Amino acid sequence: MRPELSEYPFDWMLWRSLISASRLKHGSEKEYQSALRYIPYFKGVVNTIYNMGSPGQKFLKIIETYVERIVTAKENNRKVAMTTFCFSPALLHAMDIVPVSLEPMTVLGSVMWKRGCLDYMDFCTDIGFSETGCSSQRGSMGAYLARAASEIDFIVIDSAGVCDTNSNAFSFAATYLNKPFYGLNYPATLIDDQTKHYHRDDYRNMITFLETHTGKKLDIDRLREVLNQHAKQDALIHEIEELQMLVPNPMPVTYNFLIYAGRFFFSGVSLYTELLEEMLEIVKQNAKQGKSGLTGGQEKLRAFFIYIDHYSLDLKLWTLLDQRGISHLGNILSRGFSAKAPYIKYVQNHGYQIDTSTLDSMIDSITEINARMPMVRSIRGPYDLPHMWLEESAALAKLLKADCCVYNGTPGCRNTWSNVKLIANDLEKHGFPTHIMYGDAFDERVESWEITSTRLEEFFTIRGLL
Amino acid sequence: MIDIFLNAARTIEPNAVSEEKQHGKLVVGYTCSYLPAEILHAAHIIPMRLRGIETHSLEIADSYYGPFICTFPKCLLQLASQGSYHFLDGAIISTGCDGMRRLDECWRKAGSDYHGSLPSFFHYFDVPHKRESYAISWFIEEIRKLIQHLKTHFNVKITDDAIRQSIQLYNHGRRLMFELDSLRHTEQVRISGAHAFAVSVAGTILPRELFTEQLALFLNHVKNTNTIMGKNQKRLMVVGSVNDDLELIELIEQCGAIVVSEHLCFGIRNEDDLVNETGDPVAALADRYLSNSACPRMFGYFSERLNLVKEKIQKAHVHGVIMQNIRFCDLHGSENGLMEHALEALGIPCMRIEREYGSLTETGRIKMRIQAFLERIES
Repeated sequence: MRPELSEYPFDWMLWRSLISASRLKHGSEKEYQSALRYIPYFKGVVNTIYNMGSPGQKFLKIIETYVERIVTAKENNRKVAMTTFCFSPALLHAMDIVPVSLEPMTVLGSVMWKRGCLDYMDFCTDIGFSETGCSSQRGSMGAYLARAASEIDFIVIDSAGVCDTNSNAFSFAATYLNKPFYGLNYPATLIDDQTKHYHRDDYRNMITFLETHTGKKLDIDRLREVLNQHAKQDALIHEIEELQMLVPNPMPVTYNFLIYAGRFFFSGVSLYTELLEEMLEIVKQNAKQGKSGLTGGQEKLRAFFIYIDHYSLDLKLWTLLDQRGISHLGNILSRGFSAKAPYIKYVQNHGYQIDTSTLDSMIDSITEINARMPMVRSIRGPYDLPHMWLEESAALAKLLKADCCVYNGTPGCRNTWSNVKLIANDLEKHGFPTHIMYGDAFDERVESWEITSTRLEEFFTIRGLL
Repeated sequence: MIDIFLNAARTIEPNAVSEEKQHGKLVVGYTCSYLPAEILHAAHIIPMRLRGIETHSLEIADSYYGPFICTFPKCLLQLASQGSYHFLDGAIISTGCDGMRRLDECWRKAGSDYHGSLPSFFHYFDVPHKRESYAISWFIEEIRKLIQHLKTHFNVKITDDAIRQSIQLYNHGRRLMFELDSLRHTEQVRISGAHAFAVSVAGTILPRELFTEQLALFLNHVKNTNTIMGKNQKRLMVVGSVNDDLELIELIEQCGAIVVSEHLCFGIRNEDDLVNETGDPVAALADRYLSNSACPRMFGYFSERLNLVKEKIQKAHVHGVIMQNIRFCDLHGSENGLMEHALEALGIPCMRIEREYGSLTETGRIKMRIQAFLERIES
């Protein structure tokens, strides 16, 4: 790793960048424009976020707060848990534990810095981690392994049985850093009694682990507060999702990103609720006027991403979609599968319920929320079985009136690269032209954004979609 | 005497299995060492661990799997699709790792494209990644589901008594294998690494009665042989991901070393402990197979695996460790990285090799690296 990168902690640098970004608009427009000249590699993402209007500014505040909590955790006597995007942070917030979710942190580095998180990725390889492991973890994980970031206290994840590459990365980190480790493990099925019992036992055992390592009991009032907030967030998201089905889609192209990123950072925390409220207002206004959420106002195409997005510098994927008049209908990260979700009856109607009546019912609720997190729900078993990836993707694409589907991931994803060709064929049979992107969502050395975007545009052109 | 083991280890369809097949015996293939083979045996079915040797092209497999996947499941798919596994009556796909568990879908899809390539019995066998009591309960249920599926599909009886007898037979084979393994630990080694490994691999292929009987005879032969090998040679251990390729071990030994121990996805590492012969046999199997954390698929048990390897190094007086993994095997790739640091810190020379599965397509490169490693140990 370049020595200068070890000089300042990774998360501290992110935090300072975010503070600076959130202050840019404090002055006049002229001052803002002048300031952009001095941040040639940062202005792209800053502009993209500010162009989202008030939700953009709120989102900046959210990520700034998230990273600030990590950086200041020790001085505030709070324990820090390294975790993964597909683990609902709601429980950690309820237990006053500061989560460091590696993949979203890698995204921040990738979209904000020209250097991305590449040096940290390489550090992982330097110390023996497999270079073919998923870049989403390798990015920020490298900084924590290099001790070029805040110290974490323990690791808690939920990807065993769902994504080996993910589990393996965290289990490597636990060994390397000599930190306590807890991994939830999921069976291949979602809703049978045996699985439900297993979910409950494993999740409760994890709570015991967290209580042991924090020295604090789970606070029932706090958990109720978090779950109530979670239910409120769900309701707001469902309303947005309902409107997203309209043609044209009134939702601005970047809002999907804000929805899932917000969920990964602050599920159950009021900051995220406020963001959703603002977003809903804008989507509602657009819907009322029959307007597309795209900047150009004209929706030419509706694309459903069956896996994840591409997180190159400046959020270029979203800029491309916006410029070409393509609505982003969400991806595997977007949806939570609550029992009240507008799409739930199309995916065999097995959503989670939030019941805050007793401690037991609350733990059961959060257990089932977690069991439906992205990946955890739909790639735990064979992709073509009920409740799994194909059923979910085909149902959502149909419901959202998608014109096409796009797969993007990372070469480190053994799970989806083992069956993406199969699901692409199946989606084609369902009538959705489907494109497989071969790049790496977090590492442009695998394939530059220029090539990735050219291939994506070729797909739109050759299949007669645009 | 070694021939029967070599034949089993070097061919997809060994003679002994073909003969049994001609007598009407059923054969069911499985993909992972976490499958309790005793269950199949109790159903009078020959359990056969699936292997990808004899693959010459991946043209079929590559059209189902993506490019960033380990070549082992691809080789299995290739062989199945081209009909090389025609003799299987069934296949069981376990959740060994992500690439392997997706063989379920790839094989099923290929089965509809290549008529006859999908056996009529096809079972997805879920294996927990941890061993808390509730995980063992889940595993017991998975084993019971498998038993039920076998009973229904093949119209066979699988009684607790039959499972107990199978456990006893398998345990007997394990004891013989420990004994054979211990003969490699002495200063005067009486069996080459390649032959010892052939025995281990054959243990997952041959009908168990035959294997046990032949192993007892072979063990007796080895004990009484006057041939001593490994004198003044460096004693190596081979660890890491899937390898059932005798040629890799032979290549190492051709470079002037002797392989005295392994800790590989195939082989003795899966036979390290016995199944309890009393009580509920299904619970005993679940307990034994899940408590075996020898594979990095069991997340969070690195220190146990390290201790196991260190113990073997000590017992077998190992001079150096070769850590191999198939490209895109993140589990073993990372584990090897951690293990290398830990062992090197103890002064044990290690070498990591990343390679493709298959019959040593990279012989020259690997040979050169082994030679360089041996030079390093010499110095």
